[in-house]
Amino acid sequence: MASSNDSAPAIRASEVGKVYGRKEALSRVSFTIHEGETVAVVGPSGAGKTTLLHLLAGIIRPDSGDINLGGRALAGLTPGGELSRLVGVIHQQLDLVPQLSVLQNVLAGRLGRWGLARSALSLAWPHERETAEKALDRVGLADKLYERTSRLSGGEQQRVAIARLLLQDPQVILADEPVAALDPARAADLMGLLAEIAGHSGKTLVSSLHSIDLVRKHFSRLIGLRNGGQLFDLPSADVTGDMMDRLYDLRGIEGVETFQGRDYG
Amino acid sequence: MNSQAERGSGERPRIDVPRTSAAGFVALAIVSWIYIVSGDSGLWELFTVETWKEAGDFLRRLVGLETDGTSAFLDAASWKKALRLSVETLAMSVLAAGIAGAAALLTFLPGARNVGFGQSGGARSRVGVAAFFVTRGAFAFTRSVPELVWALLIVFVLSPGVLAAALALAIHNYGILGKLSAEVVENLDPRPARALRAAGAGWGQTLLYALLPQVLPQFITYLLYRWEVIIRTTVVVGFVAAGGLGREFRLNMSFLHYDDVGLLLLCYLFLVVGVDLASAGLRRLAR
Repeated sequence: MASSNDSAPAIRASEVGKVYGRKEALSRVSFTIHEGETVAVVGPSGAGKTTLLHLLAGIIRPDSGDINLGGRALAGLTPGGELSRLVGVIHQQLDLVPQLSVLQNVLAGRLGRWGLARSALSLAWPHERETAEKALDRVGLADKLYERTSRLSGGEQQRVAIARLLLQDPQVILADEPVAALDPARAADLMGLLAEIAGHSGKTLVSSLHSIDLVRKHFSRLIGLRNGGQLFDLPSADVTGDMMDRLYDLRGIEGVETFQGRDYG
Repeated sequence: MNSQAERGSGERPRIDVPRTSAAGFVALAIVSWIYIVSGDSGLWELFTVETWKEAGDFLRRLVGLETDGTSAFLDAASWKKALRLSVETLAMSVLAAGIAGAAALLTFLPGARNVGFGQSGGARSRVGVAAFFVTRGAFAFTRSVPELVWALLIVFVLSPGVLAAALALAIHNYGILGKLSAEVVENLDPRPARALRAAGAGWGQTLLYALLPQVLPQFITYLLYRWEVIIRTTVVVGFVAAGGLGREFRLNMSFLHYDDVGLLLLCYLFLVVGVDLASAGLRRLAR
């Protein structure tokens, strides 16, 4: 991306590697992502997409290489308040507290800014309620404020998670297969919402996902991972169907044997 | 492989499990009956006229049909006393459940393996591991000693009464509630807490927003179940710790005031049914 951005890049990964036991989950991955970019991380299951996103979120530490967020070394950032303003994560699984109200789950996005006393009081007398209401309105759930979260459908719960992210208000949104559990129509709807929110506020969005249609529609750039390595890093317009086929080809993936690869290939 | 298996089955004849069990069952039944019939088991007393006459007399006295003076069922003073004791017994059960619940609520957290061993956020520390074994040990010890034994021990220290009985019930139930709650924490879905930490929440905030909301409904359900058990156990503990219906029950038995015993049993029945209904209603609210 030849962007004329003079500020520090939102994310810079250099030679990042991560090893689990004897398996190299990620090896020597490098890229620079500028502020406001929308980047899709694509690749077959086990390619290292989740590992990469968790590394960028500071949830796990790399075994080699460095990650910079907004010009600061991720390793030097303390978890909690500071880090939560830089990156926010949304997962493929539902990570809300089912017993709490929708309002409280959204307000939990503020915990990185609140002290313990304020957090405790807010459970009884919700603090910053209007901000939460606005966020819920934006994801189309204004009427579910006091609903118990467990009563919501999967798609609605993912929207609550997005509203929580709006309150957390990080500079970078990392989404780990956010629509994997939804049907195609709801997946398209939700991905559109996520992309719109990121675009509207100029946030950087990095998401892993499998739907090529959604990738082409909402993301300006693609990073293709395979066996923990970087296969390509291109503007989405330049990625051909042939490249995608090679990315998802089962042949040559560790631990996978296909009839094609073994007998008929 | 195959030939080995065949040889194995040839050497050792296989046991026909249903047939062997049936034969064993019949043999055991025969031996048992021979033992009962030949020994001094008192079984034949069940079939004598005398036994049934005595049982009938006892039942008539119990329901107040045969008394010296007025029956307790028709005596206002007896009713008043029984009702007062019922209230006292109810208070004893609530006090016991309250003490056990409060103590369990304050200590169940370090008793959860995933908290003590630092798997759910926070580093694994020697203090956490030590606290885990101490709390789990306390849960195991308090619940392995029965309420009745706790009552016997407590009346050495405290004067017999409602408080002593409630305390005995509380200590035993504390161990049960603590263990159950700690296991709820161990079986929690870790994802909501992990998401909160990723959003910048500290340990205390994660406790408030993820752990307690998930554990409390289950805890309240357990507490109400234990309350039902406690009210049923109050009578036995009352025998020893001299509180509530239990004490009066034992006194009337020794004085042969069977109509009073009958009245107390009736009150006790209402108490147990009432607590069961209240508990069921409250549990529905907690859900």
